[in-house]
Amino acid sequence: MNSSEIDIVVGIPSYNNARTIGHVVSAVDAGLAKYFPDKKAVIVNSDGGSKDGTSEIVKNAVIDRNALLLKHPLSMAHRITTPYHGIPGKGSAIRTIFTNAVDMGADACAIVDSDLRSITPEWIELLLKPVLSGTFDFVAPLYARHKFDGTITNSIVYPMTRALYGKKIRQPIGGEFGFSRRLMEHYLNQDVWGTDVARFGIDIWMTTEAIANGFNICQAFLGAKIHDPKDPGSDLSDMLVQVVGSLFELTERHYDVWKTINSVEEVETFGFKYYVALDHIKVDVSRMLRTFREGLKNLQEIWIEIIGSGDFNELRMQSAAADAEFRFSPELWARIVYDFALAYKKRKLPPQQLIKSLMPLYLGKTASFVMDVDDKSQTEAEAEIEKLCLQFEKTKYHLANGWK
Amino acid sequence: MEGFIDLVMEPIKEVFIKFRLFLPNFLAMLTIVVLGLFLAWITKKILSKVLNVLRFDSWCDKTSITAMMRKGDIWTKPSDVLVSAIFWLFTIVSVMVGFSALNIHAINNLVTQFFLYLPSALSAVLILLIGYMVSGFLSRAALIAAVNGGLSYAKFLANAVRLLLAVLFFAMALEQLNVAPNIVVSAFTIIFGGIVIALAISFGIAGIETAKKIIEGKEAEPGNDKKGDVEHI
Amino acid sequence: MADFYQTGTITTLHRLGKPSLERIEAELNEYSKTRPVALVLPALYSEFEGKAMPKIIEELAKVTYINKIILVLAKASEKEFVRVKELMSPIPYDVKVVHNDGKRIKEIYNTFSRNDLDPGADGKGRSAWLAYGYVIADGVCDVIALHDCDILTYSREMLARLCYPVVHPNLDYVFCKGFYSRVTDKMHGRVTRLLITPLVRCLRTLTENHPFLVFLDSFRYPLAGEFCMTTDMARVNRIPWDWGLEVGALAEVYRNYSPRRICQADIMDTYEHKHQILSAEDPAKGLMKMTVDICKSIFRTLASEGVVFSDGFFKTLQVAYLRMAEDTIMKFEADAAINGLTFDRHEEAKAVEAFTNGIGMAAQAFFENPMGSALIPNWNRVTSAIPGILDMLKKAVDEDNR
Repeated sequence: MNSSEIDIVVGIPSYNNARTIGHVVSAVDAGLAKYFPDKKAVIVNSDGGSKDGTSEIVKNAVIDRNALLLKHPLSMAHRITTPYHGIPGKGSAIRTIFTNAVDMGADACAIVDSDLRSITPEWIELLLKPVLSGTFDFVAPLYARHKFDGTITNSIVYPMTRALYGKKIRQPIGGEFGFSRRLMEHYLNQDVWGTDVARFGIDIWMTTEAIANGFNICQAFLGAKIHDPKDPGSDLSDMLVQVVGSLFELTERHYDVWKTINSVEEVETFGFKYYVALDHIKVDVSRMLRTFREGLKNLQEIWIEIIGSGDFNELRMQSAAADAEFRFSPELWARIVYDFALAYKKRKLPPQQLIKSLMPLYLGKTASFVMDVDDKSQTEAEAEIEKLCLQFEKTKYHLANGWK
Repeated sequence: MEGFIDLVMEPIKEVFIKFRLFLPNFLAMLTIVVLGLFLAWITKKILSKVLNVLRFDSWCDKTSITAMMRKGDIWTKPSDVLVSAIFWLFTIVSVMVGFSALNIHAINNLVTQFFLYLPSALSAVLILLIGYMVSGFLSRAALIAAVNGGLSYAKFLANAVRLLLAVLFFAMALEQLNVAPNIVVSAFTIIFGGIVIALAISFGIAGIETAKKIIEGKEAEPGNDKKGDVEHI
Repeated sequence: MADFYQTGTITTLHRLGKPSLERIEAELNEYSKTRPVALVLPALYSEFEGKAMPKIIEELAKVTYINKIILVLAKASEKEFVRVKELMSPIPYDVKVVHNDGKRIKEIYNTFSRNDLDPGADGKGRSAWLAYGYVIADGVCDVIALHDCDILTYSREMLARLCYPVVHPNLDYVFCKGFYSRVTDKMHGRVTRLLITPLVRCLRTLTENHPFLVFLDSFRYPLAGEFCMTTDMARVNRIPWDWGLEVGALAEVYRNYSPRRICQADIMDTYEHKHQILSAEDPAKGLMKMTVDICKSIFRTLASEGVVFSDGFFKTLQVAYLRMAEDTIMKFEADAAINGLTFDRHEEAKAVEAFTNGIGMAAQAFFENPMGSALIPNWNRVTSAIPGILDMLKKAVDEDNR
């Protein structure tokens, strides 16, 4: 293969995804054929050593295109500490894809998850067009999701990244992205590939790194995101540790960037935006509130240490309400998340314990959100999230003051 | 008469000779003790000056070491505590070395034992310190995990973990100090076993309902457990 | 009984009709369940030997809505501290006596100073500040009330009226200052009548009604030592440790909150306490020192608001003040006459003369050191410099009261 011939690379990191990867590869293949017929494209599957025949399926699914099957060696550490969000060793898989894409001289690269059920050929166009047009370096995804889904994104990651870095990127930890070569080279030069950030927080890292270094950013509306159900044994508190831990870690790294940002701007969005009609999900709110109240009763000392007694009392007062009336005010939530970020920075507790102790609070917040928007439409639910974001922006001074 | 005088003088002479033999040792002891005390005093002065210049106390305040001392109701300055600890260590060591200069068998033994004992004492202190930190860490981990797991006896569990570890580390420290090792081991076994049994019984009695719920819940739930939940990511 | 006229930018709550103490206390009992109140009492040991304190304790024992009292005891030996704890024991709710000269609290002060935080000299300001720290550390009370311990005419009605506007969930004031008339057979409150009011009015003319001066002028009795505030305010406000305490505290309130959330309440009919002795010469003593500190505090606040001071400004101010104060004396003379009160015109004129000198001295001190201020850092700053300080303070006080 002559490297100068390649224009586009589509990377698919995988690990034991035999059930879904065939569909993903054929959608990518069709997308490349339909929207970029005159471009030379390669599909790179970076596999972490699957044992269920994932690679064979990829080989057979590609019809008229070069497919590059790579293995990124999974170290022991990777195999043991499986991230609950994404595949094991996603960081090294992405690094392998970037290295190859840059070596082959690709102008643009897209990465899609291998467990997707709802991917269509259009996704490839949406992720790559903005980059190939020469205007954008980074394409973040935008999905239509049920109003109850993605609550960690909605109540922590999105509001906080938006307030900190000043860009309205709705899905900072979605699994699909488009990149320019310039940006890939920048990523490869960074010294994070061996750290926990690469292991658990590669998505949020790529997003914030792109914003923090002033790359041109846009979003692409991909429609519904449906993926293979995750391992049912996955533990929410571990998930929280990985996602929120990475977020806080990056907050520390990028202090010099976010301290100067005080405004928030829209990001250009491609694709036709629509809301999908979704069925009503019954959520067990009382179980969440039970955990929240248990936390209030038992974690008092830890929480006071982190959020201070003033806000703790506020929390106690709000939780005095009956289950159905209980609401977690946006002001309080924003202050609490920032206080946890500050406590993380000041190492008030070991990081794992710190973030795990956030879980009852997060469940309280989620329960309050679910009850708030239970009888509301998707648009109204989105407006609630917008309110929360504005509160995060308003309270940002608290984080900045505490940081000094 | 002569004989009588000799009889009287002999013991006196003997005492005198013994005293002459003993005197240099005694002087040596005095010198060593005085020098040691002087050294201890000088070290105390210099160290407290140095700590002052380094703003040791302020550093302790910022790292919450002072707060930890205050929790134990100790209200002296952190630097004073450190300085006097070192002062007393120097003093005791110099007194011990001084005694050994007396060259008396019993005291020599004592001194040797003291110096043999010193490492055990230090490691016992170290064990207690590590134990304090480890038990704090683990009981907090247990507390958070129990709360997140929705257990209603989280605090109880955390306290139990802390208590068990405290007993364990305390026994380890005593064992290290070699204080009546047999009794320590058996007492430890009894207490530890007692606590475990007590926990088991109280948990059993208080937890029948909970256990029932867990067993029934686990059997009934798995199917609808995840369905009704939101996707958090 | 007062009229119902509203002065200035803040809310004035008058004593109208015959308000029932029982009703107010019943309401306070209800509201204090969700907003617990702490009462802070800065006291000297000598005050326990005076006439006022036994009466105050007697009254406080009947109060039911206070969650705890924090009495900061200054200038007391170990023995006297124990005695005070005994004297306070008739009060049925939680009382913490802070032993300002005890070894634990002294060590707390040492901790401040070795971390470059200056809590200032011993005095009411520092005592109150320390008590706020305890309330914050304790984490139970949302409202803090404070009054002096030398009030001869104390009744628990004044405490109830002081707390009411801040504790009431629908009124939602964050700060309430007390006011009252200071009249026996003559008019007291000379510093307020003859110094602050005329001085502030003159400054208003000279600075084209600067908002801070309008705010200050709204208070009927800016030197009153009785007030009630939210614990949040105690967290962010800095407190002066010198005689500028009351005025400086108002400056901090002005800086951190909107006047709409500030009020003053008429808390009692008459008020009598220990009087200061006027020392016309020595600026380090008594009333003279008070004058200088108060003026300095006003000047510095204005300077920080961007008002430019010059030598000429102060000269004009002194002349204008003198004229204004003389006019004021005449007004009070008439007021005394119609009410049949004793009025010593000569004494009043002497006081004005001393105040004029005080203004001059304050101006000079301001020029020499415009930045220097007698403000104790707020608790937010202290806790960020020494993370464990609140725990230490709580431990110290709790141990002392074991």
